[in-house]
Amino acid sequence: MIQKRTGLPEIFDSFAEARKNGFLAMKNIKDSGRGVVGQFCTYTPQEIFMAADLVSVGLCSTSDETIPEAEKVLPGNLCPLIKSSYGFAITDKCPYMYFSDLVVGETTCDGKIKMYELLGQEKNVHILELPKRQDTPEAKALWRAELVRLVERVEKDFGVTISEDRLREAIRKRNIERRLLKELYELSTMTPPPITGLRQLQILFGSQFKFDWDEKVAEIRGAIDSIRAAYETGERPVSEQAPRILVTGCPMGGVTEKVVKVIEEAGAVVVAFENCSGAKQMDRQCPEAGDPLTNIAEHYLQIGCAVMTPDRNRFELLDQLCDQFQVDGVVEMTLQACHSYAVEAHLIKAHLHSKGIPYLQLETDYGTADIGQLSTRAGAFVEML
Amino acid sequence: MMKEITVGIDCGSAACKGALLREGAVISFCVKPTGWSPKETARLVLAELLQQAAVDREDVYVVATGYGRVGIDIADRAVTEITCHALGAEYLLPGVRTVLDIGGQDVKVISVGDGKVLSFQMNDKCAAGTGRFLEMSAHRMGLDLTAFSALLETGKSCALSSMCAVFADSEIVSLLASGKSREEVAGGVVRSVVTRVVTLTGRVGVASPILLTGGLAGLNGLRIELERQLVHPVISLPLSRFAGAIGAAKVQGRR
Repeated sequence: MIQKRTGLPEIFDSFAEARKNGFLAMKNIKDSGRGVVGQFCTYTPQEIFMAADLVSVGLCSTSDETIPEAEKVLPGNLCPLIKSSYGFAITDKCPYMYFSDLVVGETTCDGKIKMYELLGQEKNVHILELPKRQDTPEAKALWRAELVRLVERVEKDFGVTISEDRLREAIRKRNIERRLLKELYELSTMTPPPITGLRQLQILFGSQFKFDWDEKVAEIRGAIDSIRAAYETGERPVSEQAPRILVTGCPMGGVTEKVVKVIEEAGAVVVAFENCSGAKQMDRQCPEAGDPLTNIAEHYLQIGCAVMTPDRNRFELLDQLCDQFQVDGVVEMTLQACHSYAVEAHLIKAHLHSKGIPYLQLETDYGTADIGQLSTRAGAFVEML
Repeated sequence: MMKEITVGIDCGSAACKGALLREGAVISFCVKPTGWSPKETARLVLAELLQQAAVDREDVYVVATGYGRVGIDIADRAVTEITCHALGAEYLLPGVRTVLDIGGQDVKVISVGDGKVLSFQMNDKCAAGTGRFLEMSAHRMGLDLTAFSALLETGKSCALSSMCAVFADSEIVSLLASGKSREEVAGGVVRSVVTRVVTLTGRVGVASPILLTGGLAGLNGLRIELERQLVHPVISLPLSRFAGAIGAAKVQGRR
């Protein structure tokens, strides 16, 4: 069993107020005796941590603050998400990374695989071997075996037993969460949508960082009700004429909100997110009947992502969302040096064009220097719709 | 209410261009170096256009475009230069299908149909292929752009291995030191700019007629090299550099 971390980092006193509060909030959770698992990816099966009564938290960083520190080790021409996440780990500046007793990563892309090896020198890291295929019996068997290994690791590291009943209960609770978040973003199928894309993204992204399940579910319910109520009283934050945009591509949040901002400043509205913060993890429910671990394995393995080949599930979800949200155009955000998404962008573009849906790819990083260029591109795209 | 007189102001990184249209026809135009304040320069350009046409500000509808568009407070509306170049190109060359806009700080390839943008590619955050790169190379050889352009008429050229403005700068020095003529080096610089533009066209596709717009549209040697590498005729017109401003003046009434 591992020793859980409860002390504050040495550089705590140098932090600004907001960051200090973030650390203290996490310290409270740790002082109550609960363990924390950090994860990077939508493929990580949170049900396993939930069943062990652990707090699970996303570690994908979204700011360029620690990139210079990371670049002392990592190459400059690497995805900013990888660099910044590693940077936060070695600088003790992120409360979630700092207080994670176990960090779980997957063999998603080359940059992450190698970064995890380096991260393993700083943190207690467990790697899941994620298959690149989703449709063969071998891939399915491998992924289920990997989840068995993860269950064993969690049981050993935290001195707990994960029962099938607890797993079933976790699936049920995660399904409620998925259903609610889906209900929330599906409000934007209305014309005009009741919220801007920026607000939708902030709600979806923020829900990852609420650690009391009952409170989280109540909060999402509350958000849905208040958005509905405001709409019914005639509040229209978005114009009926605003072209409706679907955003796809790399994970989004934090500084990359800039992409949503430039689209909406150009007079359009983002109605749906086909990415890790959005529909990818909420659209489908995990089956509740039968062997829970097999259900979890199958559910997660079928998430569409450019790391898979072929990546049919992403195209399917994209098609479904384009119809459901009556989309006028699709904007794909690719992070610099994300080869998986940048190469697949060509297939996405061709696919959408064959359906007559305009498409724009915007490549960006975690800096803010390119906002002018992004806004010219997004502006021209919205003007041409 | 629609106004019969419209003004487009295209404030780029190097020059601020203005055009005044009455009932859709160009009446006057004007260009000034952008200088340090796009906002102030735009005011001066507008004042001059109004004076030339002898009309008042209240009588005209003003649309700003170019990288400085957002800060231009005298405009009624701001529209991106991509939309404006497409509209302006359609005015200058009806039926135009491809617009190559080579400006001071970026290069755009725009695929056009009926004056509407169908798709576009732009290069930025890097000086490769831009007017700034050409200008810097000319200065390195002690020339202004007109003298540089004259060198191109000789048709001489040489190979530059670097696309990067910083590395190309030192490469130019070594080429001149190794005895290459200024004509050859000038041809090499233009060839490297065109190679960059042609790479962008690969992602959009080119169709004739092709119109060259932007600050470098008057550089005949550049146009000829574009034709050679694209294997398509490339057209440049006397008002090509005003395509963005004219397009901005045509925006009124469009969504």
